[in-house]
Amino acid sequence: MDELELLKKDWKKDDSKYPKLSYEEIYKMILKKSSSIVKWIFIISLLEFVFWLALSFMFKDTAYSDKMETLNMNHILIPITVISYAVLIYFFYLFYKNYKNISATDNAKKLMENIIKTRKTVKYYVIFNLATLVVGACIGAFYGFSHNPEFSDKLQSASANGEVFKFYAILFIVTILILAIVIGVLLLFYWLIYGILLKRLNQNYKELKKLEV
Amino acid sequence: MNKELEHNFVKLLEQHQNIVHKVCRLYTNNQDAHNDLFQEITIQLWKAYPKFRGDAKFSTWMYRVGLNTAITLYRKSKRSINTQNFEGVEYKIKAESYDDTEEQQLKILYKAVHQLNDIEKALIFLYLEDKDYREISETLGISEVNARVKMNRIKTKLRTILNP
Repeated sequence: MDELELLKKDWKKDDSKYPKLSYEEIYKMILKKSSSIVKWIFIISLLEFVFWLALSFMFKDTAYSDKMETLNMNHILIPITVISYAVLIYFFYLFYKNYKNISATDNAKKLMENIIKTRKTVKYYVIFNLATLVVGACIGAFYGFSHNPEFSDKLQSASANGEVFKFYAILFIVTILILAIVIGVLLLFYWLIYGILLKRLNQNYKELKKLEV
Repeated sequence: MNKELEHNFVKLLEQHQNIVHKVCRLYTNNQDAHNDLFQEITIQLWKAYPKFRGDAKFSTWMYRVGLNTAITLYRKSKRSINTQNFEGVEYKIKAESYDDTEEQQLKILYKAVHQLNDIEKALIFLYLEDKDYREISETLGISEVNARVKMNRIKTKLRTILNP
């Protein structure tokens, strides 16, 4: 007999080797909570939205924002705030729509694509925030340098010592370094979380795609 | 109404639970992992049940949700062993006769099946369950031709493992 026929025969032969769960046992199971990756993606994504939202609130009520006000930046800060909330709502809407589309009754490929789509929405949101962070830091630095009396004092004393170039160079390097560290830490964080969470899904998706070539 | 839905679902699942056990058998290597996956498939089935229209057979619908959970949704807990580690297979392989060679062959075959990747396992599972290529392609979202080609490759792979 062919080996695979042998396997099939054995596979179908005795169902008695499987555990037989009772009505009550199954009933108890449906009351439990799922721990699927979709749920984890949902939770982590919510945390990401909350994280960026909290960050913007934190800046609002600190001495830092008082300082910003003295710099007369409201005409820039207010539109930025409005835009960032609009973007947040838009991304959240997309994310929720994608999340709702995930259905275990789709075919395997469609299901994987929908999950990846949900995750991508959040990724774009994070990229948007990182870009805003960089742009914001540049604008902030520019305003800080040109409007801050403390800074102009220092610049003057530096130019008196003939160290203008050194002064700007240090400033530039420090700004870049801080930005790089912040972005680096965030990226590492995302890479770790999603790398671990989606490793198997990505592998299987690749495998399915490979079949189509 | 909700109670009735619950009751109908649990009754149906109780009747067809072997399908879920078979998925778990293929995708896990020990009893704890088996129970974990069974639990998750049950939850996914229950979550999807209100949308189950009855135009598909309950069992057909179960194959889809069960495999989707195993391949995509289920987050393996630490307790479940890597699929490469097929030594942990605890299922007793019974042979009708005491034919040593047949029993031996089956043992090797099951080990080989456990070594396949998740997608290959899904294909072989549907094959073992006598599903036709149309259903296989619909369950996985690939074309029938590709399903056929891949299946032949897996069969060859399994035969080679058995007869090197």
